Amino acid sequence: MKQAVPMPALSDTMATGRLVRWLKQSGDPVKRGDVLAEVETDKAVLEVESFVDGFLAGPLAPIETDIPVRQTIGYLIDSAEEVVTPSVSEEETEPKTPPVEPAVERARPAKHPATPSTTAPRAATSPSSPSITPRTLTDTNRRPASPYARMLAADLGIDLADVVPGAGGTIHAAEVLATALQPRSPDLHFAPPYQIEPLSPMHRAVADSMTATRGTPTFRVTARIPLDAIQATSKETKTSLTLLLARACALTVKEFPRFNACHTPGGLAIRDRVDVGIAVDFEGGLLTPVLRDAANRPLEELAEDWRILRDKVRRRRVVPEDYQGATFYVSNLGTFSFVHSFEAIVPLGAAAILAIGADDGTATTFTMSCDHRVVFGADSARFLEALAGRLGNPGSWLG
Amino acid sequence: MAKEDIFYWQALNRALDAEMAGDDSVFILGEDVGLYGGSYRVTEGLYAKYGPLRVRDTPISETSFTGLGVGAAMTGMRPVVEIMTINFALLALDPLVNMAAKIPFMSGGQFPMPLVVRMPGGVAKQLGAQHSQRLEHTLMNVPGLRIAVPATPQDAYWQLRQAIASDDPIILIEHDLLYFSKGALDVEAVPLPMHRAAVCRAGRDVTLVSYSRNVELCLRAAQQLADERIEAEVIDLRSLSPIDWETCVTSVEKTHRLIVVEEDCRFAGAGAEVAATLSERCFFSLDAPAKRVAALDIPTPFNGSLESASIPTVKDVISAAQQLCSVADPGVKP
Repeated sequence: MKQAVPMPALSDTMATGRLVRWLKQSGDPVKRGDVLAEVETDKAVLEVESFVDGFLAGPLAPIETDIPVRQTIGYLIDSAEEVVTPSVSEEETEPKTPPVEPAVERARPAKHPATPSTTAPRAATSPSSPSITPRTLTDTNRRPASPYARMLAADLGIDLADVVPGAGGTIHAAEVLATALQPRSPDLHFAPPYQIEPLSPMHRAVADSMTATRGTPTFRVTARIPLDAIQATSKETKTSLTLLLARACALTVKEFPRFNACHTPGGLAIRDRVDVGIAVDFEGGLLTPVLRDAANRPLEELAEDWRILRDKVRRRRVVPEDYQGATFYVSNLGTFSFVHSFEAIVPLGAAAILAIGADDGTATTFTMSCDHRVVFGADSARFLEALAGRLGNPGSWLG
Repeated sequence: MAKEDIFYWQALNRALDAEMAGDDSVFILGEDVGLYGGSYRVTEGLYAKYGPLRVRDTPISETSFTGLGVGAAMTGMRPVVEIMTINFALLALDPLVNMAAKIPFMSGGQFPMPLVVRMPGGVAKQLGAQHSQRLEHTLMNVPGLRIAVPATPQDAYWQLRQAIASDDPIILIEHDLLYFSKGALDVEAVPLPMHRAAVCRAGRDVTLVSYSRNVELCLRAAQQLADERIEAEVIDLRSLSPIDWETCVTSVEKTHRLIVVEEDCRFAGAGAEVAATLSERCFFSLDAPAKRVAALDIPTPFNGSLESASIPTVKDVISAAQQLCSVADPGVKP
């Protein structure tokens, strides 16, 4: 019997996954639970496990390609004799796998990086070719677009090549409008030659979520708070300073519940639990693992959670439950001793984010970026005042 | 007289009564229209009121009595022919296609054709393949014939009266399952032109074009779609020849998506004409290919479950709309 191995869906919002590598080859015997391949999503690397005993059979989907979820990436069969197509060459794989969506095609690295042909500016082609090669639009023109989408694009002066298609690889009015509402892409025609390096899924996710906050009316309030007391506590109790800061923030948010709300078109969403998202930098990206119920649960429990989360981040094994849905954010660049202050962007779903700089010997600069639709300047000042009090007197709340 | 809730058949009966009372040249002929009062009670009481000369029972002879209607119309009478079901109209195609539709043209307008032919059509409940046909496409293919498809008692009343008053040959297709449906009738309301389509429900996301019994199906689907924030606009064509394209085009230009819902067969059916013409006229407004929800291309099965599976259901309309809307807007639930 031949069973298809589909591209797994990690979350409801995941549309494609990128095959990083195959750990088994066509013809290899596999046991139920064996890891067949690794898939990179916008946030994590996911293992594709075998769900039966048997043999892996081709055609196997190519690696380093974005593949829609639930599309077949390979097969599992009962006996080794049935393995007929060990070849994994592109020619043989392509007809079996549904056509790659144009968006994906565009996201692939340029096939001929040496010549800045397709996307590079025409003016930049070498002077030796006097006939200027126009930008090749053949492919993008053949991309399916609804008549209404084409008309809208023409009216709005949008090049269909700049539109990311929707379902089924077709451009509809909705996608054209989305492109129209996006910031303009830079005109690189007279710039130096260039190549397009596609964003990694995770980088794309960060870019998208940050772009989504463009409409947030933000103000910032800065405070200087001495951290001697809390640093001493951190050393004494061998507790991570970040964790203690997150805890202090959670308690302060609990005291000023407006900082736990977020703006929605229907009104303020008032949450009954403080979940603190902590920006974590790691090789190749940025994630915000979330400490759930950070104000009410015992510190030891949070410390254990934090240890697990950091480990998952390091191994890139986080799932959406780990990094989504924070109600308040903390971003700490204090580990870079020369960064004294910075501003952070309020993510969607939160009212504020606290940016923490390095200690300059006397105090540390805290900058709160706030959504002005939810909280006001004085609220923020009071928040920082209470936070400063808490950080100066850890004994009162640590126990 | 104020508004009242009555059966569809009663509305037709009222229309006949009103026209017969007002014009002596109006008369009815057909099988069982007299003493029996019509298979669906439409001519009930008229025999007693107007006598056997104006409510004429005929033998089983569709070709003959329809031909008789054509001849009577040529001589200045205003006959209303009842064919017991649309299936029997196949026997009357010669007088309908070759005579009624063409004589006004071939005579250069010297012979008007004030003929009305009423017939029930559609899939009722287990009447078998030969009695469950939708032949509107056959009649739509005849230039010179007009076809009205009233979906409500109000339209049944208006359109039958307008048909009798008109000098054109007009076919009224009445769905078997509509005769005993109820609706409001206001005899004093100002009637719409007979061919004018009606927007039964306004919406912004998708246009559902339908006629006859399936309008009700669309309205129910639209109600449920609204719960998932898909606002469907429902259009009752009311007339299949001519078709009021303006109303349809206006709607599609607003919603950018079109579904034609009909009980006729999908292949070369009435909906094929609607989808083709609107695709032509609204090409630059469409955000997805026009969709058709129609009956299967098979003779209607007798078995009850198979029969209902062969024609569109509310669920079919809903899933077509969901598909069409989700393609263009991934934010909407698939």
